[in-house]
Amino acid sequence: MIQHHPGDELLLPLAAGRLSAGQALVVSTHLEGCADCRARLHTLQALGGALLEEVEPTALEAGAWERTLQRIDRPAPVRVAAAVEPAAHPALPDGVRWPASLRGCRAGAWRWMGPGMRYARIVAPHDPAASLYLLRIGEGRSLPRHTHAGIELTQVLCGTFDDGRALFGPGDFDAADEAVHHQPVVQPGATCVCLAYVGARMRFDGRIASLIGGWIGM
Amino acid sequence: MGQVRPESTPPADRPVRLVFGHVAAVSSAAADRRMPTDDEINAWMRAVAEAADRPAFAALFRHFAPRIKGFLARGGADEALAEELAQETMVALWRRAASFDPARAQLSTWLYTIARNLRIDHHRRNAGTADLPDDWDPEQQPADAHLTPDELLLAAQRERGVQQALAALPPEQARVLRLSFFDEHPHARIAQDLGIPLGTVKSRIRLAVTQLRRILERTQA
Repeated sequence: MIQHHPGDELLLPLAAGRLSAGQALVVSTHLEGCADCRARLHTLQALGGALLEEVEPTALEAGAWERTLQRIDRPAPVRVAAAVEPAAHPALPDGVRWPASLRGCRAGAWRWMGPGMRYARIVAPHDPAASLYLLRIGEGRSLPRHTHAGIELTQVLCGTFDDGRALFGPGDFDAADEAVHHQPVVQPGATCVCLAYVGARMRFDGRIASLIGGWIGM
Repeated sequence: MGQVRPESTPPADRPVRLVFGHVAAVSSAAADRRMPTDDEINAWMRAVAEAADRPAFAALFRHFAPRIKGFLARGGADEALAEELAQETMVALWRRAASFDPARAQLSTWLYTIARNLRIDHHRRNAGTADLPDDWDPEQQPADAHLTPDELLLAAQRERGVQQALAALPPEQARVLRLSFFDEHPHARIAQDLGIPLGTVKSRIRLAVTQLRRILERTQA
């Protein structure tokens, strides 16, 4: 049962096409598993349709119709969609699907970031600079206590963590900003894998954690 | 292929006759000046999908292309880009007409999502940083609502009331929603327009969307 969903302040810009690519990927990954949020997005897209109907029409250039007819007479370009799963991606625990929203993204190998903790960089071809990561954290392990200079979006793919505010399990989504100072602790039972977008550097409390965070670019 | 009949602007001055299967619909020049009904729009779409009917396409072009251009221009696109994407959206309508299902969405919403995705794709390709593979599909992101048939039915019912719900919202909340679609930097603009700190914009957006949903639920109860 999904308990935590993206707020309308994220779904509305997604519907409006104004959410940055990195953030859109994490929210889209949540939508894959959440029918409620898909229905919410549907309503907000209908708002786009309603605005399209009420906007002041702007005359097209002379010849626009003829040019459009010429274009529809040309054969449509054939597009073969990319496979959902990249040829190689960091292994996920059994039973965890590779998010379809990451189609076309490159994924690096799992790298060490601390005892029981690994990360893999995700590069979106349409926004290569976006800080997207998969995090894999073992049972009982925790990320160092930190806050954020910007927004941090997290979608749980498997496992459960408790960051002192709430429990986040499979399918749950979290948005944290500078007001949140937390230390996610993975609960016993399963390894936790999350897709995370880090809008600006995390600010770790400890000096060594800061060093590692800076080193891997988090 | 490639033989283009000298058709001029979408014929606004002559009757448009649509024939497909055993259904025929005729609209006149006088009728074209009012808003087409959902039934007319859906009949035109069927004619395009099933019979590649050009007069029906012309009627759709006449209604929607200037609105798509106006929408994009209001959203910050310059004249040339708005023109190009409006034409491209209509080409997509022609090619994908068969995938449009009036039970699942209104055509205006369907066209809105196509125009939006084309705009996102355009900006990504022009950002200079993007290294898009050949098989990149502009339709794949952001994820559109993939709903089950039951969910779709409910969503489609809700969708029909959105225009009225928007009109029923307090002006300030309707403004928050409009700016979210039309402004390139909606948060800053909303803060400025409403004279509120940037930090409280998020809660205003939530409030406006919550109100919209409340009105939709009330009218459909």
